[in-house]
Amino acid sequence: MDISLILELVTASVLGAVLYTLIGIAPGTDETAVLAPVTLVLVLTGFEPIVILAFFISAIVAKKLTDSIPVAVAGIPGGVMAAPMVDHAMVLKKHGLPEVSIRKMASGSVIGTLVAVPLSLLLASVIAPFGDEIKNYASQIFFGGAVFLALMAKNRWLALAAILPFAILIQGLRHLYWGIGIVPEGTTVFTSFFLGITIGPIILKLFELLNRDIRNKLPRYHKKEIKLQRSKKEKGFPNPFKILDAKEVGTTSFASLTGVLTFFMSPVGMTIFLGETFSNYIKDPVKRASRAISSMDGLTNATYIAGTLVPLIAIGLPLSPMAIGPAIALFKAPPVFTEDHNMHHLLSMNEFVIATVIGAIVAISITYFITIKYAQQICVFVFKYIPHEALLGVFFGLVLMLAYMDAGWLNIAGVLLIGIVAGTLHRWGVNYGVQFMVLYSAPWIMSWFM
Amino acid sequence: MKQKPMEEQDTQSEQYIEVWEDVVRIKDLVISLIICSITTLGGYLIAPNEPPKPLIFGLVGTVLGFIICSIIIKPKRTFEYIGEEE
Repeated sequence: MDISLILELVTASVLGAVLYTLIGIAPGTDETAVLAPVTLVLVLTGFEPIVILAFFISAIVAKKLTDSIPVAVAGIPGGVMAAPMVDHAMVLKKHGLPEVSIRKMASGSVIGTLVAVPLSLLLASVIAPFGDEIKNYASQIFFGGAVFLALMAKNRWLALAAILPFAILIQGLRHLYWGIGIVPEGTTVFTSFFLGITIGPIILKLFELLNRDIRNKLPRYHKKEIKLQRSKKEKGFPNPFKILDAKEVGTTSFASLTGVLTFFMSPVGMTIFLGETFSNYIKDPVKRASRAISSMDGLTNATYIAGTLVPLIAIGLPLSPMAIGPAIALFKAPPVFTEDHNMHHLLSMNEFVIATVIGAIVAISITYFITIKYAQQICVFVFKYIPHEALLGVFFGLVLMLAYMDAGWLNIAGVLLIGIVAGTLHRWGVNYGVQFMVLYSAPWIMSWFM
Repeated sequence: MKQKPMEEQDTQSEQYIEVWEDVVRIKDLVISLIICSITTLGGYLIAPNEPPKPLIFGLVGTVLGFIICSIIIKPKRTFEYIGEEE
């Protein structure tokens, strides 16, 4: 390990932290949609795996630290994962304590990271010996995962009924591309289909805008009103162990530990369940709310880190909601990474540890510091100068490019088709998890009929 | 043409629609999608055909598109400070 590589890791981590500090604040940014495409492009561009891992870890830690800021300041979740915290943050805001929210959440995040990094590495080395065994049943596991997640979904029978048709759509397009010769037979189009699913809800909405009846019936809104409470300046370097009281540190650590052990479960579900469990018995609304948000933030951060690292180090297959969502590009980004040749195979345990630790430390020191000190200023900057349209444009542009890269012009229409179907399914309550699992197991599902 | 008065009324009061948890104006959204698609795909296509250059050019195009859109499109949010001034 030479100095220049360490410098590269630090640079990548700084970039990840800064970029995702800003993105984390932008309202409504889904983790998968903002992390997967960028990571994917970095992988395909040919950066060293270890550099990408440092970037990614730094990005998720930074994103998790900041996506709670708009929740606290304006009651708008900065991401899907921040949604369960809105109610509690609103309690604190109502009591005039938005900056308390931010500090408690950010400190919860830091503790989550501190607990999750060593524990995930440990858990990964415990599971690792069984990795190869698990791998032999990958398709079956993904199919089982699709069925399991479908059964857990709100509309379980709908989700279950959608599995086979959706698999047909995916495999059908692949065979069409092979048939007309725009993709060499045996090359599986994956990346752009994945992104089509990710931004499906947006693609569906865009198509609906082309329909005059729907367009005229859409609810219209005024400008989004954001009320901000002027906050006091924090002095000195913040210390999470001072910002949280002993009980909060305890609950948050325990929640984070649970988050690591349940890395294969849905983070949103676990967050709501555990956050409420750990805080329900507290009577004082302010204390209950701050206990809930600190432990929830710790837990989501821990599930994120564990959900990425454990499958990556131990198995090499994306067997967690986190791995099959935001972290997907670390596992599969053909032609650079495939199931048999990805970070799992390329990095040694030492390299995993170094990249993770550097990424986490850089993100915490930059983002935690900034978050606590300048939360409000950053919020104002993002809300004032970054139009939502530009964010949507960026992701649309990225998807077009990757679609073209995968299989030429025709695939842009193919990805739009997948987006329409996936967006409709998503709206009906068939969540990303089910759809991604189907994307993975589609070839195996189709092989039943051969 | 019949609908015109209604549309005009709409543009005065409530003209934004919600996409992905935030409000946008359809016209601005279309402009942004077009600009970002052109800069991103354009960057990819004009790049010398030796990987990974097309991707890098494409990414630069994306950033360029983002900056252009941020300059020409105004965010649809209003601010109000409540509470005491420091």
